[in-house]
This record gives sequence, C-alpha cells and structure tokens, in this order.
Amino acid sequence: MPYELKVFEYLEQSDSHLANFLAQSESLSDAISSAGDAMNQAGWSWGMLIPIFLGAIGYLLIQEGVVRGKGFIAGGIAAWTVSAGIALAWMPVSLDSFILYAFCALATGGGVAFLTARQPVYAALGFTTAVLSTSGVLFMQSALFIAAATMIVYAGATIIIFLFVLMFAQQSELRAYDLNLTNPYLATSIGVVMFVAIAVCVLEPGTIPSRRADATRPYSEATLGAAEGTIPITAGTEMPQVPNPLVPSIPDSTAELGRSLYTDYLAAVELAGAVLLVATIGAIALATRPAPEVNG
Amino acid sequence: MDLYQTLTEMWPSLWPTLAAIGVILAFVPVLGLYMTFIERKLAAYVQDRIGPNRVGPFGLFQAIADGIKIFLKEQIIPDHVYTFIYFVAPTISLMTAMFALVVMPFGPVPVDYQEGFRFVVAPGIDIGILFMFAISSLSAYGIILGGWASNNKYSLYGAIRSCAQFISYEIPLGLSIIGVIAISGSLNLEKIVAAQGGSIWDWNVFWQPLAFIVFFTSALAETNRLPFDLPECEQELVGGFHTEYGGIKFVLFFLAEYTHIVTVSFLTALLFLGGWHFPGLTGPVDGSLGGMLLRTFVLVAKVGGVVAFIMLLRWALPRFRFDQLMGLAWKGLIPLGLINLVLVAIVLTLELPKHLLAGTALLLFVAAVFSSYQLQRSMNQTVNARALNNGVRGVSA
Repeated sequence: MPYELKVFEYLEQSDSHLANFLAQSESLSDAISSAGDAMNQAGWSWGMLIPIFLGAIGYLLIQEGVVRGKGFIAGGIAAWTVSAGIALAWMPVSLDSFILYAFCALATGGGVAFLTARQPVYAALGFTTAVLSTSGVLFMQSALFIAAATMIVYAGATIIIFLFVLMFAQQSELRAYDLNLTNPYLATSIGVVMFVAIAVCVLEPGTIPSRRADATRPYSEATLGAAEGTIPITAGTEMPQVPNPLVPSIPDSTAELGRSLYTDYLAAVELAGAVLLVATIGAIALATRPAPEVNG
Repeated sequence: MDLYQTLTEMWPSLWPTLAAIGVILAFVPVLGLYMTFIERKLAAYVQDRIGPNRVGPFGLFQAIADGIKIFLKEQIIPDHVYTFIYFVAPTISLMTAMFALVVMPFGPVPVDYQEGFRFVVAPGIDIGILFMFAISSLSAYGIILGGWASNNKYSLYGAIRSCAQFISYEIPLGLSIIGVIAISGSLNLEKIVAAQGGSIWDWNVFWQPLAFIVFFTSALAETNRLPFDLPECEQELVGGFHTEYGGIKFVLFFLAEYTHIVTVSFLTALLFLGGWHFPGLTGPVDGSLGGMLLRTFVLVAKVGGVVAFIMLLRWALPRFRFDQLMGLAWKGLIPLGLINLVLVAIVLTLELPKHLLAGTALLLFVAAVFSSYQLQRSMNQTVNARALNNGVRGVSA
C-alpha cells in the first residue's frame, strides 16, 4: 500500500468528515498521488501548490477566528491537518527525516515564539531556539561547517548581544509600522510567493545555477574533477601543507568547502571581507565620541 | 517495523556511541564532586592547612557527604524571580557544558574508525574543534539568563560582566587554534592528535608556544576561574550571577563550571600537549587492549596535570580589574593571536622549516611583554603628569 493511502486511512479513522470530503473528490486524490510520485523523483509539480495554499488558507481562517469565533479556528486547524497530511505523504520516511522534521518544527515554533512573546527576553530565547534548530537541520544535511558557523556567529555572539540590549531596553509603545506589520493578508500572500519560489528553485533541476568551478585557477574543483569522476583528492593537487605521514588522507568535507571558497568563489570572499572591514571601521567611527572640551 | 529494522541495522555503530554517552554521563557528576574535594585539598596545602580529613580515609568520602548534603537542602525559590527562566538557566548551563564533550576523545581513537568501542561519542566529525567552540559559546546563556531571572542587581551585574567577558575572549580563543589547525591540516580532534604522534618534538606546544599561551589564557577566562572570575566576584557582587540560587540549582551551575575546566584541560592536552602520545608511546593507535588502556592513562594523566595547574593558579594570581580584563583581551591577546596566525601562514605558504615557528613565536612573546611594560609605564607617567597639573597626588609609577 502506498504511503499516502496509509495517511488517508489514518485520517479516515480520525476524522470522518474529512475522509468523506477526500473520497468525494476523486480527482483531487489522483492529483495528489501523481504529485507524490513526482516528488519522489525530486521534481517540482503544480500539485504541490495544494498543501501550500491549504496552509495559507488555514492560517487566515485562524487569524479571522480569533475575532469571529470558534468555527473559523476549527476550519483553519482542519485545513492545516490536511495540508500536513498531504505534505507528509510526499516526504520520504526514515529515522533521519523524522529527526529533521522535528528540528524543522522546533525552528518554526521558535520563530512563532519570537514573534508572539511579550517579554523581550523570551523573544530572544525564541530566536535562539530557531537558530539552533536551523543548525540542527544543517547538521542533518551534513553541512557541518555551516552549522557550526551559524551556532558560533548567531547563537553564540549575536543573540547574546541582543539579550544584552533587550535586558536594558525600555518597552515603548507600538509605532505605526509595527501595527502595519501584523496585516495577515499581506503576510500570507508574501509567504505563499516565497514558499513557492523556494520550492521551485530547490526541486526543479536547472533553476539554481550550478557551481562555477573555474578551471583556470590552481586547486579549483574544476581541475580536480577533470582527472577522475569521484571525489577528487589526488597527490598532485593537494593544498600545500606540512606533509605528515601519520595522518591518512580521508576526504574532508570541510576541506572541500574551504578549497572551493578560496578558489572558485575567491572574488566573493574578498568582497565580503572588504565589506566587513568597512563595517568594522564604521562601527569604531560611530562608537567614538568626540573628545570633550578640556579647560586649560 | 521500519524503526525496528533501522535500529538492528544501526546497532553495530549505535552501541559504541551509547556506551560512550553512558561513560560521560556517569563520570561527569562524580568527577565534579571529586574535583571540589581535590580543589579543597590543594587549597589547603597552598595555605599550609590540612584540608578535609574527617570523612573516610584521608577525607575521601567528604565529596560524597557534600553531595548528599547539597541534594537534601531545602529548595528556596525567591518570590521576585522570573520562575521559568530561573529554573531553566542552571540546566542550560550544565547541558551546554556536557554537550561539548560529544566530540571530545577521552581516550585513544584510531583515525581509521573501526567498529567497536571508541573513546568518543561522535568519532570522525570533520569540524570537531569548531563544534566544541560553537557549543561552549552557548554556555554564556546559562549565566546571563540566570543573572537576569534572579531579578537582583548584583546578579545582573555578574551576568553583564560574564557577557562582555565571553564575547571578548572568544576571539583570541578562536585565533589561537587556527595556527594549530593549519599545521595539522584538519579540524578533526583525532587527526590533530594523530599529527602530533611522532617524537615529543611533534607536540604543538613546541611549534606554537605563543598560541598555547593565548589559548590557555582565554580558555581560562571562558571557564570563569579565579583570575577571571568577575561574574561571581564575592567582594563586589555578593555571589554574582548565582546569588539567588541555592541547593541543587547552585550545584548545577558549579557542575557546569567544573565540566568546563575538564573540557578546557582536555582541549589543552589534545591540541597542544600531544594527546595520548608520550615518548615511547608514539605512532598510530593499535587496537590492543593494553595499548588502549596505557594511552588512556597517559591522556588522563596529562589532563589531570592541567587541572591541577588551573587549581593552583587560583591561589597564585589575584583577580583582574574589569578594564585590565578587557585590555588583556583586546590589546594583548588578540594582536598576539593575529601575529601568530600571520607567522604560521608565511611559514606554511613558503614551505619554510617548521622550526622557525617556535623561535619567532617566543621572541614575539618577549617583545610583547616588553612593549606592554613600556606602554604601562608611559601611561602611568601621563596620568602622573595630568594629576600634578591638577594639583593632585599622582599614581606611584
């Protein structure tokens, strides 16, 4: 039995109204299962709009329900459940992916806590949760270096400074732009557009430009890959370092990242460094108060 | 069904991990208790006293008595605290301290990673040392949140001090190990140790004496130990960030501090003092049980030495003033770390002999000490001149 059918069975047990609705719309379920097949081949299909739109509608219904009554909230939660069910039906099921989804859920929860907390310190804690869970997602994707860098830079330094500031910041009244920020319709439409754009970019092969390996540079990935088809670390192209016979050369993903950064993306790295330097000088210039006038 | 199948497939690689986690979970609290005992004994010897000697032979059960006492203390919750964060803060503190041990080898780990028990929870992590720094940078949260949630101005002062101290000393800490990483060619702790596996002269402390001093100083600052214990400075802040904490909640903070000391000592031994290598015990790790145990013993002995050194430092050095603390990080350690980094880069890029590093680094350190002394003198003279102009008695230079 395909996994999506199992989910539908589960939904049937839990909510008969929903199951009736799904059973009636034969075409919808066809669309969903074909979309599921497409997802398993890791491509974009327009059927994926269904859970995205359902989620958006659910959010708006809940927003309205806060003012208008419980019926709207129930509808919103139902829409979310169906959306989550459809999305789950598409997702590969393994232990790893469950841990990954747990991190994703935690990150979303942290973001929600960040936005809704009344105390600034709790908001900062929510933000921390979101950042750390994002690192968890990166760890699960084997992007170890990025994950650790995120933790050091954001969770370790930035948010601690945030906390520092927030502890002393006086709570002031809401400004006009603060109130405009909470327009649910605007937020939802922007969110849907972003979500669809990201999904298309990630799933549709060819929409993200492939990595620009530059064969003219020494140590570039292009020159490495040309020699063999596999992960290329050959004796002739290794970065210069003190030779040490005691360390066997096991391919190192972080080493690969560094190699690529400082050859293929050298210009970008240098530019970012220059921007950071300018920012540092600017910060020092801003922080230094003009010397007070000294009498005598 | 799926899960069961996955578990059976994973079991050969899962049980060593679980066993290593078990070892760490079991040892950290015991280690914390006995480190307080050793610290009290060492303090007593430094001060020409005897120290705890009543409970059990040589006072050895004193640690257990302390543990029982502190567990049975009354739980006092001050009524002006922010309850949730007040309770969460000590847990965050201990959790981050223990989480950093995940990538730390506490015994010999062969770099070909065979099946079976290994002396590390997560072997072969490419970014081992970075992961450790990432986690330990989170340990400031425990102190900051604890200080804030206590709703007490002394606690808050302690928290703020710790915040500034953490952010400042993380920079030289990171700078100092880049040289080691460049020389070893890996961020992986096991490979860094393996790279020091030749003779005793392969230990990084001989190539990177300056980096060693910078690293040890800033790591000590991150543990909030005595020369750097401004967040809890008793004379100024009652008890600092833990003023409002008592009983088991206080113990969690202190277990975290002792875990930090152990982590720092392990890092020092692994990065600079050759890990589990010793004259006569060199080369790659073999799988034999005797060799493993001997290497573990060597590593633990080195770590014990570093721990004892940290504890003795407490009675040798006075506490910094806050501006001196900041000055040490920003004007002393960070420039030294940067210069050391440039030196390593030059030597590695031009493929000069590695021996150059040791001499230049030592020379640089002497120059830095001399220049800072000169700077201090000239600053004092300026202060004196100004004071004389204003008709006040100056600082004695």
